[in-house]
Amino acid sequence: MADQVPPRVTAVDDAGVHLAPGEDTVVDVLFDGRRIWSFWTVRDTVDGVAAWPPMLRKYLTGTAEVSVVEHLTGTVAYDGEVTLGSGGGRIAVVDAQGRPLGLDKSNRIVTTFDTRDPEHTKPLLDSTEQLLDALREAGVDAFPAYGTLLGAVREQDFIGHDSDVDLGYVSRETHPLDVVRESFRLQRFLKERGYAVDRYSAAAFKVDVVEADGTVRGLDVFGGFFLDGRLYLMGEIGTPFELDWIFPLGTCTLAGRTLPAPARPEKLLEATYGPGWQVPDPAFHFETPRTTNRRLNGWFRGMRVFRNEWDARYSGRARGRVPGGGPSRLAQFVREQEEHIDLLVDVGAGQGGDALWFARDGVPTMTLDYAHGASSGVRRVAEQEGLDLDTSWVNLHELRSVLAQGSRIALRQGHVVLMANHLVDSTDPRGLRALVRLARMSLAGRGTPGRLYLELDVLGPGEHYRPSGRRDIVRPKDLGRVEAALTSGGAVIVHSTETEVRRGSGKPERPVARLVAEWQR
Amino acid sequence: MAAVNRPFRERVVERVARAVAGDRLDQLQQRLEDLEAEVQECRQLNVRLAEVTDLVEQLLLPMAARDEEQIAAAVEKYSRTM
Repeated sequence: MADQVPPRVTAVDDAGVHLAPGEDTVVDVLFDGRRIWSFWTVRDTVDGVAAWPPMLRKYLTGTAEVSVVEHLTGTVAYDGEVTLGSGGGRIAVVDAQGRPLGLDKSNRIVTTFDTRDPEHTKPLLDSTEQLLDALREAGVDAFPAYGTLLGAVREQDFIGHDSDVDLGYVSRETHPLDVVRESFRLQRFLKERGYAVDRYSAAAFKVDVVEADGTVRGLDVFGGFFLDGRLYLMGEIGTPFELDWIFPLGTCTLAGRTLPAPARPEKLLEATYGPGWQVPDPAFHFETPRTTNRRLNGWFRGMRVFRNEWDARYSGRARGRVPGGGPSRLAQFVREQEEHIDLLVDVGAGQGGDALWFARDGVPTMTLDYAHGASSGVRRVAEQEGLDLDTSWVNLHELRSVLAQGSRIALRQGHVVLMANHLVDSTDPRGLRALVRLARMSLAGRGTPGRLYLELDVLGPGEHYRPSGRRDIVRPKDLGRVEAALTSGGAVIVHSTETEVRRGSGKPERPVARLVAEWQR
Repeated sequence: MAAVNRPFRERVVERVARAVAGDRLDQLQQRLEDLEAEVQECRQLNVRLAEVTDLVEQLLLPMAARDEEQIAAAVEKYSRTM
């Protein structure tokens, strides 16, 4: 380290930070004296330029005193007034409330700990202790993990460039199947006590804790277990490990609080961050071995198909919104076709605009969606207006939720109608099969035939659709395959039409199919 | 430097292997991909089976009681705590 030549920055401009060739070292980029971003000078550069991360770009208009400082030595490699974008005013990397933001190690724009004072971290510590207690009561001994454990052991505090709290636990179960069952049980335990739980995988979830000032904070809980002498911990670890490096738990100190810790925390930190874990690296990237990823993927993952994209669509200003614009064409078609409905279920209802329209028309209505909080606005209105509108949760990639909601609907008396507007084109073949299962459970075996109404974007003849990016989540499907999935699930297609409609947002014209599938027995 | 050399080294290894094994190399690579896919299919059964087991466990007792109200309440509770 002593012999290392400090990095040399040649320019800072709209493209990013330009560096002369040199050794790979981690640097912080400061705007007006505050750390915004960190990167490795070789690993994270292309042709000598560390490009501004996409999440940061929208803030980069104006002037700032930009400093590039070697993280470990504090050597200043660059310091000067820089004007970026169209200029005008000081660059302010802050949120809507004016709170300072920075990039974490994954280049997400967040409120990092280095900008929070003790009065802000106290509620987080309270929440952490509260959740650790709840998990202990539920039967697992959890402890701070990942960056939270690293901070506690290395600095007895939160790491400045970190932004969240991670907890981990090591299950006493030894088969992934039982680890999953235990994780479901923990979720149920926490939900029964009023926590909002959002599942990342079959062995990890986020728990929302409401703090004293009403702020909702998500704490991540990662499950782990031993198998054949290796410790697997969601979502990055799979390494030879000793049970007595975890149990009996010891303690660590985090910002003045004594919290549980693995018996040998340094062993877990080495497994997580490598032998150099004691050297701070604000731009650390996990290099999880392929075999570990494949195992964790195979055992536990696969239930979040397009979840992040839909959650993003319904977050921020869209949260709590009551959709306007009237009912969809499919909802109007359902209303024309069905004289009397005892229960209308909108699967993939999103914000629930159609459901609200049905409920206001006196139809008992249920929405099902996997995006948490998408329908919170409609739920609020339904409560105010005293409407018979139930907003429930289903994930087509969590079989148990499909089975449970299917049996819930099956228990309802009378004429039940399901609709799914652009759901089939927003999921994958597994999701489609799950929808068919849900419909069959809900509609088959009733006195009168039960119907599922669908609309979806369909492929043209011989067309192979190429999504334009990760956010392009409504992807046209082959109509024949959708019909085949329905008929193989026991349905009869009683209506199938295709219309050419113009899409919004500059997309080309695209045929939309309307299907009615009926379960006659 | 190792990272820079690896593709070249890999290319050399592949060329030598191809000279020795011929088409057999493609067959083995294909077989490896197939096996990996099959292993992953087996792993994915874990979650499916755990989900069914969890549901059955939670609903079996109310079902055994043959009490419709209890069954409906159990289904309701199960759905609300996912």
